[in-house]
Amino acid sequence: MTFALTISPSDLLLLLPEILLTFWLCLILIIDFSFPRLRNEQLAYFSIAGLVATLGCLVWFDVADITGALFGNMFVLDGMALFFKIFIVGSTILVVLASIDFIHRFKFFRGEFYFLVVMSALGMMFMASANDLLSVFVALEFSTLGLYVLVSYLRDDMASNEAGVKFFILGIFAAALLAYGISLVYGETGKLVFSDMTSAQATPGLAIGFLLIFAALGFKIGAVPFHSWIPDTYHGSPTPVTAFLSIAPKGAAFAILLRMFFVSLATFKPVWILLLVATSVLSMTYGNIVAIAQKNMKRLLAYSGIAQIGNVLIGLATGTKMGSDAMLFYLLTYLFANLGAFAVVIAVSEAIGSDEIDDYSGLGRRSPFLAFSMLIFLLSLAGVPPLAGFIGKLYIFVAAVKEGLYLLITVGLINVVISMYYYLIVVKKMYVTEPHDRSPLKVSGSMKAVVYVCLAGTLAIGIYPQPVTDWVVSAVMMFSHLADPTASLPVPPAVVPFGG
Amino acid sequence: MTDYTLLYILFAPFVGAIALIFVSNRQAMLVRGIAAGSAFVSLIASLYLFYAYDHVKGGFQFIQKFEWSRQLGISLHLGVDGIGTPLVLASGILLFAGIFVSWHIKDRTKEFYIWLLILAAATIGVFMSLDLFFLFFFYEMSVIPMYLLLGMWGSHTKKYNEMTDPEGLKQRDSVGFIFNFGANSKEYAAMKLVLFLSAFAVAALMGILLIYKFAGLNTFDILVLREQAKLMNIPVLGTTLDKIIWILIFFGFASIAPLWPLHSWSPVGHAAAPAATSMLHAGVLMKLGHFSIIRVAFEILPETTRELMPIAAVLCMFSIVYGGFVAFFAKDTKYVIGYSSSSHMGYVFLGMAALDYISLTGAVMYMFAHAMATGMLFAMAGWVYDQTHTRDIPSLGGLSNRMPFISGCFVIACMASIGVPGTVNFIAEVMIIVGSWNKYPLQVIVAVVGIVLTLAYLFKMMRGLFYGPMDQKYSHAHDAVAVTDRLPLLIMITVSVGFFFFPMHLYNVVRSGVDPLIAKIIRVVPISSLEPDTSDVKREATSQSPRPETLLLTNTASPTRGFE
Repeated sequence: MTFALTISPSDLLLLLPEILLTFWLCLILIIDFSFPRLRNEQLAYFSIAGLVATLGCLVWFDVADITGALFGNMFVLDGMALFFKIFIVGSTILVVLASIDFIHRFKFFRGEFYFLVVMSALGMMFMASANDLLSVFVALEFSTLGLYVLVSYLRDDMASNEAGVKFFILGIFAAALLAYGISLVYGETGKLVFSDMTSAQATPGLAIGFLLIFAALGFKIGAVPFHSWIPDTYHGSPTPVTAFLSIAPKGAAFAILLRMFFVSLATFKPVWILLLVATSVLSMTYGNIVAIAQKNMKRLLAYSGIAQIGNVLIGLATGTKMGSDAMLFYLLTYLFANLGAFAVVIAVSEAIGSDEIDDYSGLGRRSPFLAFSMLIFLLSLAGVPPLAGFIGKLYIFVAAVKEGLYLLITVGLINVVISMYYYLIVVKKMYVTEPHDRSPLKVSGSMKAVVYVCLAGTLAIGIYPQPVTDWVVSAVMMFSHLADPTASLPVPPAVVPFGG
Repeated sequence: MTDYTLLYILFAPFVGAIALIFVSNRQAMLVRGIAAGSAFVSLIASLYLFYAYDHVKGGFQFIQKFEWSRQLGISLHLGVDGIGTPLVLASGILLFAGIFVSWHIKDRTKEFYIWLLILAAATIGVFMSLDLFFLFFFYEMSVIPMYLLLGMWGSHTKKYNEMTDPEGLKQRDSVGFIFNFGANSKEYAAMKLVLFLSAFAVAALMGILLIYKFAGLNTFDILVLREQAKLMNIPVLGTTLDKIIWILIFFGFASIAPLWPLHSWSPVGHAAAPAATSMLHAGVLMKLGHFSIIRVAFEILPETTRELMPIAAVLCMFSIVYGGFVAFFAKDTKYVIGYSSSSHMGYVFLGMAALDYISLTGAVMYMFAHAMATGMLFAMAGWVYDQTHTRDIPSLGGLSNRMPFISGCFVIACMASIGVPGTVNFIAEVMIIVGSWNKYPLQVIVAVVGIVLTLAYLFKMMRGLFYGPMDQKYSHAHDAVAVTDRLPLLIMITVSVGFFFFPMHLYNVVRSGVDPLIAKIIRVVPISSLEPDTSDVKREATSQSPRPETLLLTNTASPTRGFE
C-alpha cells in the first residue's frame, strides 16, 4: 500500500485540533522545565487553556460542518469523530480541573502529570478518528502508554503500584490480541480501512480476527469477561486518573467499535448480535450484583461502571441508527454523572482522607452541597427521572425494543432495580446515618466548578434533552442507512380530539 | 391555549422547591412561608381547575402540549379529564395541609419541604399526564423523595431493635434478612418501599415499551395510542400480546395501589414516614396506581380490560379482608391506619373491576374521599406521636382531656373513614356497592363486612387513644391550638363534609370522565361481529347508562379544543 502524501494546507486544517494540542503538549513540558517555581495549579490552568482552545476548535468544526478524510482514509473527521473528540476533550478538562486538589499527593513529577493526561487525550482523539486498523492500533497504544504511567503515579502507595502492574500486563496482553486480530483480518481481506471491508467473505480467520479485536476493545471499555483489571486498577489509581479512565478511553473505544460493527461488519449483524447480547447481559448483571458487596466508593463506582457499559452495549447490539444515537446520548449522560461522582469522591477524600463508604456517614450534615451532588449523580447513574441517566436508559431501551431485543431490555430493567439498591445504600449513609464527626468539610473552588458543571449537565439533559438528542442524531448521520423500519414515521400522526 | 392552570398547579411546587435551595435553614419561618406559599398557589389553581372544568363538554380539558423529544415521539402533553381533576384537587389540598402538619419539624426543615414539594408535584404530574412517557417519568420521580423523607425524618416502629423471634434472633422478614436491615427500622421501610415500587414500575415500563413498539406510531401520546394503536390479536408465547401488556401494566401499577399480594411495602412505609409524608403517601400516592391503570390499561386496551379485570375483582376481596383484620389486631396507630388504607383501596379496585358507570364513578369519588379521610387520620396520628412520642395504642389512653380539639376531629375522621352519612365517603361507598352488586354480589358482601371491620378497628383505636384512663406521663401533652395546627384538619374536614352536602359538581365531573371510558370498554365488540345497533352489548350499555346520548353529542361537539 502506498500513500500519496500530497497534503494541502486545507487538508491540514482537519488536523488542526490535534496539531494545536500537540504544540500545547510540548509547551506544557517546556514550561514545566523552564519555570521550576511555577505552581501546580498555574500549570493546570495552562493545560486547561490549551484544552479549551482545542474544544473551541472542535465545536467550530462541528457547527461549521467541516468534515473530511486524510491519509488514504486512515484518518477521518466526520460527525461521530467530532462528537467523540468533544467528549474526550471535555472530560479531560474536567479531570484536569478535578486533579488540582489531588496533585499535592504526588511527591515527584507533578508537572508531567498534566503532560501525560493531555497526551493520553491526544491519543484518544486519534482513536476517535481512526478509520483503519493500523491507525487504531497506533492510536490506542499511544493513548494507553500515558495511562500506564498515570495509574501508578502514587509511587509510595502499594495499591497504586499493583494497579499499574495489573493494568500494564493486561493492557499489553490486550495489545497483543489486537495486533494478532488485525493481522488475521488483513490476511483474510487484504484490507485495513473499515469502509473497504464491507464486502468481506465470512471465513473462520476473519471471525477469529474480529473476535480478537473485539476482545482488545472490550478490555478498553471494561465489559465482562474482559473486566478483570477494572476494580483493582480503579481502586489503586489516583482518583482523578480513575475518573479519567472511567470515561475518556471508553468513549474512544466505542467510536472504534461503532465503526467496526456498523460499517465493516454491517452484513454480519445476525452473528455479532449474539456476541454483543451475551457481553451486555454479563456486564450488566455481573457489575450490578458484585457492586452490592462493595465497601469502597471507588470500587463501587468501578463495578457500577461495568454495569453501565453493559447498558451502552445494548445500543451497540441493536445495530441501528437509533441504537447508535442512544449510545452516544447515554455516554454523554454517563460522562456527567460518573465524572461528577468521582469529583465528589476526590473532594471527600481530600477532606477526610478516605474513600470507604462507611466514612460517608452523615455527609448530608457535614457538607450538604457534596451530599446533594452525590445524590444527584448516583440517582442519574441509577436512572431516576428527571435526571439525564433516566433519559439515557429510556433512549437505549426504546432503540432496543424497536429491534425486538426483549431479553436485553428485561435484563436491563431488572438491573435498574438491583442498581437502585446499592446506590441507595450510599444515599442512606450520607443522609440517614449520623456522622461520627460533625465538622463541616471544606471544598475548594476548582472542585466546586467541576461538580457544578456536572450537576448542570445532569439536570439540563434530564429536563430538556432535545438539543443533545439533535446533536447525537446529526453526529451519527453516517449510519442513517441502518434505520429501523419504524423510523420512517418522523411525525406522529394527527391527534383525534378527545372523547370516545 | 392561554389557560396555563395546569402549569401553575404542576410547577408552583417545583418553583418553591428551587427557591428553597437558596434559603438558609436558619430562617425557619421564611422556609415554611415559601413552602406554604407555593403550595397555596397550587391549591388555588387546582380549586379553579375543579371549578372551571366543564363537565358538560367532558373529555380532556386545559390541554397543554410542548414537544419534548422529536426522536422518541415524546411531548409534555398535559390535560385533565373528569378522573384526573378531583385527584389533582386532592393532591393540592393534601400538600397544603401537609405543609402545616409538618410545621414543627426542626431538623433540616428546608430539605424536608424541598422533598415534600417535589413528591407532591410529581404526584400531581401523573394525574395530568397525557403522555405515557411523562406518566412514567412523574411516577418514578415520586418514589425517590419517599426514600429520603422516610429515611431522614421518619421514625422507627416501637422497640424495633428489641424485636426478636422465639429463638432469640433479631426479627426480620425475608427481604430484611437478605439485606441485613433491622426489622421495622425506618431505613428498612424506606429501602423496601423503593425497591418494591421500582421493581414493579419497571414491569409497567416494559408494558409501556411494548405498547410503543407494537403500536408502531413512534409516539407515547395516550390520545393517539388509544385511537390508533392496534394491539389486539397478536399471538405471542401461547397467549396474545395485549394480555401480556395488560398484565404488566396492571400489576406494575397495582403495586403502589396496593393490591393485596403486593401490599407489604405499604403499611411499613406508612408507619415509618413522618406525618405529612404519610398523608400524601396514603392520600394521593397510592391512587397513582388506580389512576395509572385507568389511564393506561382502560384507555388503550379496553377490550383486554373487559376480559381480564375479574382478576382485580378476586384480589380486591383479599385486600379488603386481610387489611381489615391486620388493622384490627395492630397495636401501632400508624399500622392501623396504614392497613386500613390498603384495605380501603380494595373498594376502589372493586369499583373499577365492575366496569359499571356507577361503580367506577364511585371508585373515583372514593379515591378523593379517602384522600381526605386518611389524610386527617395520619395528621392526627402524627400529632399524637409528636406529643407523646409513642404510637403504641395500649400504652395510650384518655388523651381527650388533654386534646379535645384533636379528639373531636379524630371522631369525624373515623366517621369519614368508615363512610358514615355526613361525609363524602358515604356517597362514594354506596355508589361502589350499588354499582357492583349486579356483577359481583359476593365481593359486595365482603365489602360490607369490610365496612364493619373498619368500624371495629377505628373505634378500637379511638377508644385506645382518647378515652379511658390516662397515663400521668402524658399530662404534658397539649392540644392543637395555633391556627397553623388547626388549619389543615379544618380544611380536610370541610372538604369531606362539604362534598357530602354538595356532591353534584364532583359527581358530574367524575361522571364526565367515566362515561366515555366505560362506554368504550363495555361496548367494544370483536371486529368480526361489529354490526351497528344490533349488538346486545351495545343495547345493554345504553340501557345501563342514563346519559350516553349526551355523551355522544359532546364528543362530536368540540373537535378543536386543545390542539394546535
